[in-house]
Order: sequence, then C-alpha cells, then structure tokens
Amino acid sequence: MEDASLTNPAKREIIRVENLALGYGDRVILEDLNFGVHEGEIITILGGSGSGKSTLLKGLIGLLPPVEGKIFISGNEVSAPDSAGSEHSKRKIGVLFQSGALLGSYTLGENVALPLQEFDRLPQDLIDEIVRFKLELVRLGDAIDYLPAELSGGMRKRAGLARAMALDPEILFCDEPSAGLDPVTAAEMDQLLLELNRNMGITIVVITHELASIETISHRCIMVDGKDRKIIAIGSPEQLKSQSKDPRVQAFFRRQAL
Amino acid sequence: MRNSLLIEQPQGPEGDTVVVFRDFLGYETINAVWRDLTRLLKEQPPKKLILDFRNTNNLDSSGIALLRFVHRHCEEHQIAVHYQSVPPAVEHFIRYITPVPPRQLAQESRPFFADPISLLGKSSSDKIADTYELIHFLGTFVASCFRSLRRIHRFRWKETFYYAQLAGSDAMPIVFLLTFLIGLVMAFQAAVQLRQFGANIFVADLVSLVVTRELGPVFTAVILAGRSGSAFAAEIGTMRINEEVDALAVMGIEVIDFLVLPKVFALALVGPLLTLFADASSILGGILVGVLSLDLTVGSFLDEMYQVLTLGDVFSGVFKGFVFSVLVAIIGCLRGLQTDKGADSVGRQTTSAVVSGIFLIIFADAIFTVLFYVFDW
Repeated sequence: MEDASLTNPAKREIIRVENLALGYGDRVILEDLNFGVHEGEIITILGGSGSGKSTLLKGLIGLLPPVEGKIFISGNEVSAPDSAGSEHSKRKIGVLFQSGALLGSYTLGENVALPLQEFDRLPQDLIDEIVRFKLELVRLGDAIDYLPAELSGGMRKRAGLARAMALDPEILFCDEPSAGLDPVTAAEMDQLLLELNRNMGITIVVITHELASIETISHRCIMVDGKDRKIIAIGSPEQLKSQSKDPRVQAFFRRQAL
Repeated sequence: MRNSLLIEQPQGPEGDTVVVFRDFLGYETINAVWRDLTRLLKEQPPKKLILDFRNTNNLDSSGIALLRFVHRHCEEHQIAVHYQSVPPAVEHFIRYITPVPPRQLAQESRPFFADPISLLGKSSSDKIADTYELIHFLGTFVASCFRSLRRIHRFRWKETFYYAQLAGSDAMPIVFLLTFLIGLVMAFQAAVQLRQFGANIFVADLVSLVVTRELGPVFTAVILAGRSGSAFAAEIGTMRINEEVDALAVMGIEVIDFLVLPKVFALALVGPLLTLFADASSILGGILVGVLSLDLTVGSFLDEMYQVLTLGDVFSGVFKGFVFSVLVAIIGCLRGLQTDKGADSVGRQTTSAVVSGIFLIIFADAIFTVLFYVFDW
C-alpha cells in the first residue's frame, strides 16, 4: 500500500520507509512497505498477534537489518550496514521496550544515567540533575534509588520511558507500552505519551493492539497483516473505522473474529 | 454383563449396522463402550455404520476421543459413518470428531529417528558455524579491547572488580578444598609406589611439578568454568530475554564493551592468582601426606621441592591459568549472547558454556603441552 503522506510536502518527514522488506534468514515477514512519519505525529502500528509489528519495530530501530529497501531518519539512511547515519540516528531515537528492559543490577537513577554517560562527557552533578528531571517527568522522582525488581510493571515501564527520553530524542519508539497493565495504569501511560508529544514535540511510534490506546493517542495508524505480509491500511483511527472496507480492519476495530 | 451398545442390523449382516449408545458417553462409561464398539468393528465390520445418539444427551472428551477413533478407523477400512438422532448438545461437538488429516500431521511432525547421514551433516554444519561464530566473537573482542584502550577513562572498573570478587575471592574456599584434596590424593597414590623403593622424598618432586605445570591451572579453570562461565552465560542470557541487550544496542552502547570486557578482565585478573593459590593448596595436601605417612619433615619436603621446581614451571602454570580463564570468560559471554527467546534457551546455553569451557581448557592445555615439549620450556 502506498502512503499518501509520502507526497505531502506540508510537514517534514522524520521517518521515511521505502520498499522495505524484513525477515529472519530466508523467511520474509513483511515486504513492500512504504510509509512516512511526520514530525510531531503519534503513529501506531497495529496488527494481530504474529502480524509482524515487532519485526517492523526492530527494523525501524536498527536491530534487524532489512532484507530489502531503505529506512531514512531525518533524511539520513540508517538501513545500510555500518552507515554513518545509523550511528548518528542513535542519538535521535529512544526506545521503550515492552518489559521496560531496565538493567536489573542498576538502580533507576543509574539506568537513566547510562545513555548520558555513554554519549556525553557531562559533569556528574549535571547528569544527576537530568536523571532527577527525567524521573520526575514520568512521576518516579522519589524512586531514584530503587532497583527495577522493587517496582511494579507500570513503574518499570515508566522508568524505561525516562531512560528512553534521557537524550531528548526526536523520535520515541514504544513497544506495547500498555500491555499487561491495568486499565487505569494503561490510561496513565497513554496520558504520559500524549504529554510528551504535546509539550516536547516528540514524534512517537507506538506498537500496540490495545484499541483504547489507539483511539486515545493515535494521529494515524498503520495496520500490517501477517498473512499478506504487507501494510493493509493507513489512516486515522476514525478513517480506518468508518471508511475501510477491508474486513480485517473492520474485524480489528470491532473486536470481531474473522 | 450388560452390553453398553444396542446393536440393530435392520438389513442383515451385509447391510447397515445401527449402533445405539445406551448412556451418556463419558469417563464413567467409556471403557465398556470402547470394548464393545472396537469388538464390533473388528469381528463384524459393517459396510455402513450408523451411530445413534437417541439415549445420549451429552458427551465429554473421552466420548469425543472414542468418536474420533471410530471415524478414523472407518475411514481407513472404507466404512461409511453416519450419525442420527444427534441432540443439540452433542451436535456442538461433532466438528471436533474429524481429526486433522494424517498427511498434515506428518508434515508438521519430525521423524523420531533422523537419518544418521543427515544428522552427521547437520551436526558438522552446526559445529562449523559455531567455530566461525567463536572466531568472529574473538575478533570483535580484540577490537573492543583496542577501543577500550583509547577510552580507558570509560572502562567499567567498578564492574570489573565486582566480578573479580565474585569469581576470585568468593571461589577461594572451593578452590582450596578441591586442590588440597587433589594434592593429598596424588601424594597418597605416589607414596604407595615410592615407599617400596625407599624413594619417599620424591613425592615432593611429583606433587610440586605436576601441580604447578598441569593440575593447578586446569583444575582452577574447570572450577571457574563451573562457577563463573555458567554464571556469565546465565546473566547475559537472561538479559537477552528481558530485552536489556537490545536496549543497550539501541542506546548506542557497545554490548561487548559493556557486558563482556569487564567479565573477561576480571577472570584474566583472578585466574592466575587463583592458580597460584591452587598450587599452594595442593602442595599443602602433599606435605600433609608426606609428614603423616612417609616420615618426611616439612623442611625436607620443601627443600626437595625447591631443588626440582623452577620459576619457569610456576610461570608456565600461571600463564596457562591466565589463558584458560580468558577462554572460560569469553565462551561464557558468547553463549549468553547466543541465547534465543525462552527460559529453556538460558539453561541450554549455560550448560553449553560449561561444556565448551572445559573442552577449550583441555584443548588449549594439549596445545601448550606440545609447545612446551617442542621448545623445551
């Protein structure tokens, strides 16, 4: 499916994907992917279990080299192996993994400080202050000395978000941020992402299949299908719900079995 | 015994056979029904079997399993099966009665006994791939060492000393106990023979030489493989499963620099020291046997040892200990990074870290032995 935003000159495209195919070894999971993500947009990648959402995320964040095609972040190609753009783009992106992926032997403060220590030779006092600020941003200011194991699932995800935000990325990728959370905590997570988007202008790409989250936070959705190995729909949640004639899209939004 | 089935044959033995189940088809009644129905199919196989459910208002999993068996048996023997008077509750289950076609199952299942030639080929190909991966990892590790030299201020000394403590000082009791007993056993075995020739004093030569050149470094490294190599594999493997390794990669942090170097440096540091400690412990075991059962004195044992033992013997053992420890740490970290999804993978890689570690220790020791012999070291 061709994304209309590829030809929309009004907004700057911060991510552009051209003819992308992703897979593991000889097995291609997704192919012929073409879409763009605009600056300041919240875009959700949808699909059923096993549809290739996480594979697409791995491709976008550089953990899975493409079988074919190109990925551009802020105009730099990041898909070519060992490309200069790939290293450069690491400062531009932050990733919130599904489990939070905090280092278990480090406190929350040390976890958030990690990327700061790696990229910048900043004074330790300044790093400490940035860490406190980021943790307060996700409402974990008083948990700076806690180990991840001492926190609930929701708190671990928020701490993961603080670490992903440590270097003020332009793009934040989130892998199922509300999965496994109770409805209230999931709604809080959605609000947090909305705040980051509105207040700090961060572009957010979210992998999810939680309908409530999709409707609350998405500006646009990209739906992928594992059987077709392609994008089957792109548009706002309202557009997909009311205008798409694809039974898979309708079944997804109406929570019906196919 | 009452027959569990009512068998009606309205068209004679050559025609249709109607089987009426008398009861609910469930775990309580299934044995009798199974016995009667299989006997019927075996002894009087009909051309057409009609299963009548007029007295059966429901069935459970055992009933479904029975009907699946009958369905498959009849299909194999060209017997047509029909159902009649099926109540709604039973009709609901009819769709489970047709089993997945055997052809599909055969495609999905793997043969129990694989072709030995294919097995050998696959095993060889896996070993070659594994060796390639080890060599690639060693190359990456060496590159990482040079990179760390350039950025020495960022080296993770805190973690290095943490792992040095875990692998070194915490391992001292077990290293002492095992190597002390090895020295003791070796001295005892030697004493039995040497006493016959009045050559008791040569126990000191045997124990000190064998321990410092061979057994000290090998046993220390085997203990390190069991304690630390496995721990490194399990730690990194769990981090992979929890996506922590992916998180480091996307943050632009070099995984080898962050996770592997501190562990390898820690073992490189403590391996030679533990080897010296193991040498001393074993010799202590030898002295104990010499004093208690061979009428030697501590002084005579040590005098004999000083005469036969050179610094070269000690350093060759220490050098071996250094190399073995580095190998154990590297293979432990590599196995951790090779972990796939799933807790069982952590277990497999942890086991593999120990087995591969011990294999590499013995293999390297064999190379050292040949080299030392050729160059007369």
